[in-house]
Amino acid sequence: MTQAESISDAELAERPFDELVAELQRIVAALEAGSVGLEESIALYREGLRIHAACEERLRNAELTITELGRRAGATASVGAGEPVPADPGER
Amino acid sequence: MADFAPERPTLWQASTLPPRILRVTDLNRRVRALLDGDPTLADVWVEGEISTPSFPPSGHCFFTLKDSASQVRAVIFREELARSAVRPQHGMAVICHGRVRAYEPQGVYQLYVESITPAGAGDLHARYEQLRARLANEGLFDQDRKRPLPRWPRRIGVVTSPVGAVWQDIRNVVRRRYPLVELVLSPTVVQGEAASPAVVVALKRVFAQRGIDLVILARGGGSLEDLWAFNDERVVRTLVTSPVPVVVGVGHESDVTLADFVADVRAPTPSAAAELAVPDGTQLPAILDRLRDRASSALLGGAAQRRRQLVAEARALVSAAPDLGAARQRTADLVDRGHRALTARLERHRATLDGVRDGLRALGPAATLARGYAVARLADGTIVREPAQAPVGERLEVVIARGLLGTRVEKARSDGGEELLR
Repeated sequence: MTQAESISDAELAERPFDELVAELQRIVAALEAGSVGLEESIALYREGLRIHAACEERLRNAELTITELGRRAGATASVGAGEPVPADPGER
Repeated sequence: MADFAPERPTLWQASTLPPRILRVTDLNRRVRALLDGDPTLADVWVEGEISTPSFPPSGHCFFTLKDSASQVRAVIFREELARSAVRPQHGMAVICHGRVRAYEPQGVYQLYVESITPAGAGDLHARYEQLRARLANEGLFDQDRKRPLPRWPRRIGVVTSPVGAVWQDIRNVVRRRYPLVELVLSPTVVQGEAASPAVVVALKRVFAQRGIDLVILARGGGSLEDLWAFNDERVVRTLVTSPVPVVVGVGHESDVTLADFVADVRAPTPSAAAELAVPDGTQLPAILDRLRDRASSALLGGAAQRRRQLVAEARALVSAAPDLGAARQRTADLVDRGHRALTARLERHRATLDGVRDGLRALGPAATLARGYAVARLADGTIVREPAQAPVGERLEVVIARGLLGTRVEKARSDGGEELLR
């Protein structure tokens, strides 16, 4: 139903956290503006709950990701190569 | 000396005036006045090496200050010596600040020292001040160059030493506050001769990365010499080229390096830099909940407003009634039709209003489910309201308060419904 359901489950899992929060903020703003019809309001609200749950899930399971640059290629060689190398596997 | 002696008389024999004979005291007084009258000599900085300092019972300290070619006598009096952080030692390279005067009783001039600083530090201070002034003149430290930090960074470049407490502190702070980010470490040495070029390389390496939202440049505390890489012009100029905002956290609160001046945001310590770089994630659940609550009340508020609109419309219709009443005088038939039309319209609005209310009740699914209700759904998500939707054998998902049951229809009854629950 309209744009409200445009976020798939895969997207919910993949999209950056801040984008999800922004989406939730947009939904709240749309609901607060009162410019959408009842049916759509309900759809938006449901979508908001989904995003809210996804965000909470994300926060619960968040783990700091660490990448170290240039370790393999030597101290100076890999400018811009940017091949992520896990810094400290023991930490993850 | 002897070689020059014969020439001396010829110099004043050439004069027609008899030579003016000075007493030694007069000579020394003249020299003293000459020296006292020179403003440069009244405030000098002299670099040299301390030689043979002596500490007589007077509490003053006498020494010779020398370089490879010359030497000069120097004295630092008891009061200044007591204030000095540096105690003169033989062979120490220093910069002395003071004034030059003649000491009449002995016919010598000497440096009256007010303060002593180690030569290296003095040199660094001077270079620091010069470079700071020059870069400030170029506008590199201007406030309008400062960029705000992104509120929700995703990838943060960290330029620091991979060993030691600083990197550990940064990881800990970010993990505690906002573990949703990726930290991209661009390791570098941060001390010693190699530090400045290494920091430049590490910065450029992280600037070349895609998707970095901001960069932290950090180092633990140390002496001015230890922190020198962060006052290096090459480092400062590399920071200026950063495509993203930079937070600099070097040393302790009191250490201010040129890198701090050029940073978009200056943090007093490395940990503080990490704190400034990420939002406070501990607030996020509360923020999310507030958003959800706002959505709920907006939805309910919107429904209430629709209800008020319906009531207002109904009132408008009612207030239109007298006109219909007037029409009655003309034809009773018309009046009846009018009333019927009005009633029907009000009924329709009531029905809509009831629908809205029921919809809203159903909306708090969590609350409803928590009371023990369940929702049966077909595989495609359609909610089952009548047996015809789900023939025997059909799979149903039954959503209950704490989860979901996969079921299959075994039998169906079409009578009843709500009253079966009673």
